[in-house]
Amino acid sequence: MGRYVFKRFIQMVLLFLVFFALSWIALQAIPGNSIEQQLRLNPNLPPEAITQALERRGLDKPPIEQFWIYTKDFFTGDLGVSWSRYPQPVSSLIAERLPRTVMLFSVALLFQYLVGFQAGKYLAWRRNKRGEMAITIAGVSLFTVFYPWFGLMMILLFAVKLGWVPTNGFIVESIWRDAPLSANRMMMTMFTSLMLVTAFIGLTVWASARLDRPSQRRMVKLGAWVAGIGAFFVYWLTNDNLVYAKDIAVHLVLPVSVLTMVGFAGVMLITRTSMLETMKEDFVLTARAKGLTEAMVRDRHAARTALLPVSTSLVLAVATVIDGGIITESIFGWPGMGQLLLASVVAEDIPVALAAFSFTGILALLGHFAADVLYGVLDPRIRVTSQG
Amino acid sequence: MTDTRELSNDAPILDVRNLVMHYRTEKGDVSAIEDVSFSLKAGESFGLVGESGCGKTSVAMALLQLQAENAGFEGGEILLNGKDLLLMGPSEMRSHRWNDISMVFQGAMNAWNPVHKVGAQIKEAMDLHVKPQLSHSESRERIGQLFEMVGLDPKMMDRYPHEFSGGMRQRAVIAMALSCDPQIIIADEPTTALDVIVQDQILSELKKIQRDLGMSILYISHDIAVIAEVTDRMGVMYAGKMVETGPTIDIFHNPKHPYAFLLLSSTPSITGPRRKLAPLEGEPPNLLDPPDGCRFHPRCPFVTDQCRTEEPPLADIGAGHKVACWNWESVPPLSEGLRK
Repeated sequence: MGRYVFKRFIQMVLLFLVFFALSWIALQAIPGNSIEQQLRLNPNLPPEAITQALERRGLDKPPIEQFWIYTKDFFTGDLGVSWSRYPQPVSSLIAERLPRTVMLFSVALLFQYLVGFQAGKYLAWRRNKRGEMAITIAGVSLFTVFYPWFGLMMILLFAVKLGWVPTNGFIVESIWRDAPLSANRMMMTMFTSLMLVTAFIGLTVWASARLDRPSQRRMVKLGAWVAGIGAFFVYWLTNDNLVYAKDIAVHLVLPVSVLTMVGFAGVMLITRTSMLETMKEDFVLTARAKGLTEAMVRDRHAARTALLPVSTSLVLAVATVIDGGIITESIFGWPGMGQLLLASVVAEDIPVALAAFSFTGILALLGHFAADVLYGVLDPRIRVTSQG
Repeated sequence: MTDTRELSNDAPILDVRNLVMHYRTEKGDVSAIEDVSFSLKAGESFGLVGESGCGKTSVAMALLQLQAENAGFEGGEILLNGKDLLLMGPSEMRSHRWNDISMVFQGAMNAWNPVHKVGAQIKEAMDLHVKPQLSHSESRERIGQLFEMVGLDPKMMDRYPHEFSGGMRQRAVIAMALSCDPQIIIADEPTTALDVIVQDQILSELKKIQRDLGMSILYISHDIAVIAEVTDRMGVMYAGKMVETGPTIDIFHNPKHPYAFLLLSSTPSITGPRRKLAPLEGEPPNLLDPPDGCRFHPRCPFVTDQCRTEEPPLADIGAGHKVACWNWESVPPLSEGLRK
C-alpha cells in the first residue's frame, strides 16, 4: 500500500508540472497586446509597480527565462501582486477564495455521491419494481437539464418566490459588521467540526467490528452516532457565534442542493449498472446460501463490490470541479476560485489567473490522488498487484 | 463406509418427494425438474449425475430455496427433518441455510467476494447461525481449526481470496461449508476445474471429513467416476427426470437404464474390466418441448414404439435399484458393450 501511494504521488507531481507549464503557455498566448503593453495600459497600476514587475519578473526577457523565473517564484511561495487589484498580493486572494470553493464543492460532491449511490443501489436491487421508473426518469431529466437555466429557476423558486434561502452570495455583509471573526475563519471552524464528527463516528464504527459480542458492537455503534451528533449540536447551539455559522449555512443550502440534484443521477446510473453486474456474481449466491438477510447481501456483498467503478467516477468528478466551479459560482454569486479565475482572465490579470489555474489544478490533482488512495483501500487486489 | 450403512435405517433427514419445478420463460415453461424423488439419511452420501442441463443444479438450488426468480414449483415437497422447505417463509428458510444445509460451490466459481478477507466471509455465516454466539477470538479459533481440518494454514484466514490458489480456494470453501456444523452439505461439482491431483486430494478430504463428523453429503457432478468414488447411493438424471437410482456399486457395475449404460460406456475404467469406449451421441432435449414418452428415446439404442408414446415409471427391480425404462432387461452387461 505504501508503495502504491508513493507511486501515485510521484505521478501526481509530474502531472502537475505539465499542467503548470501548459497553463503558463496558454496565458502567454492570450490574444491581444504583449504583457508589457498590458501593464502600461492598465490604469490601476502605478508606474513603480510596472518597473518592479518588469525587473523582478523578468518580463522584458525571452519567454523561456520568464518561465524559469516564474517557476522559481511559484515554488518558493512568491505569487506576486495582482494587476487588477493592486497592491493586493495574489497569495492573500487565493487564501481567501480557496477554502470557500473547497467547502462548497466537497459538501456538494459528498451529497451527490451519498444520494447517487443509495439511489443506484435501490434501483438495481428493486429492478422491475415500482419506483424504478420514476427515479430513473427524474434522475436522468435532472442530469440532462441545461444546468445554468435550472440553477436560475431554483433561485427564482426558492429564493425569490418562497424566500426560504438567500438568492446568492456567501454571507450577508450587514450581519458580519461587528463579527468577532472573519467569515473564512468561521467557515473553517464549521468545516473542521463536521470533519471531526465524521471521523469520530467513522473510526468508532470501524473499530467496533473488533468487539466480541454483536450486542456490544451495536451499542458502541449507536453510542458513536449519538455522541458524535450530540456533541456537534451541543457545540454549535451553545456557541456565541451561532448566528454567523447559520448565515454561511443558509447560503450553502441552495448551491449544494442544486449541485446534488443535477449531479446525483450520474452516480446513480453508474452504481446501478455496476450493482446489476455484481448481483450476477457467484459470491452473491454464496452470501444468500449462507443465510444472510437480503439487506446484508445487498450492503456487504453486492454494493460493497459495486463501489469500485463508482470510486473511479469520483476521480473524474473531482476534476470537473474546475469548470463546474466557474458556472456554479457565477450563478450563485459564490466568491470562490471559479469567480476569481473568470474575473482575472477577463481582466487579463495574469498573476492571479496563473495562480488560480495552478491552485485549481492542485485541487483537482489532490482529489485524484485521494480517490486513487481510496480505490486502493477499497480493492485489495490493487494493493497487491501494485506492490508486486 | 460400512459404519454409515448402519445409520441408514433411521428416517431420512432430507426427503425430496415428487418435486416438479418449471422455469417460466417468454417461450413457455421449461420443465427443469420433473417428478424427482430421493432421500438422504444421516451420514449417508448420495450422488446426482447427468449431463449439463439435466437439472442437477436446479435440484441443488431448490434445496437451498435459491432458485432463479422465474422458477415455480408445480408440486412435490422437500422435507428437511420432516418440515417442508417449500412452505417456509423467507426468514425461516434463512435460518436453515448453512445452519442445516450448506454448500460447497464449484471451484471454478467466484464463490468468494474479492473485497473481503476469507476469514471474515466465514465468520459472517457463523455470526448468524452458531448459537450461542462466539466471541471474536472464539470464532477465529474455530476458523483456524476448520482450516487445519481441510489442510490450510490458519494464518490464511486473514488473506484475500485472490491470494489463494484454486485448490486452496476450494479447501477454504469446504471449511466455510463446515463452519456451522450442518447436517447436510451439497457439493456441486466440488472438483471440476481443478487438476486431477488436487481433485483427488479434495475428494479424499471430503470423505475423511464426512467420516469424522458424520454429516450427509449430496454430491452433484457430471463426472460419473467422481460420484462412484465417493457416494453410497446415486441417482442418474436425464432431462429433468430421475431415470435410475440405487446403490452406487450396483449402478456402477450393472447400469440398467440405457442412459446410465451409455454414460458409463463412455467413461474409461482403470480398475474394471477392459471394454470398448462408446461415445454418447446427441444432446439432451430442449426442455421447452420435451419429447413424448420417454425423454431419452430419441438418443436410445434400445428404443421401441412404446417408448415413443408412453412414459416409463421409475420401477423397483430389486435391492433398492430403480429404473425408469420399458426395456431395461434388454440392456446388456457393461463388459459386453454395445454391439453396432
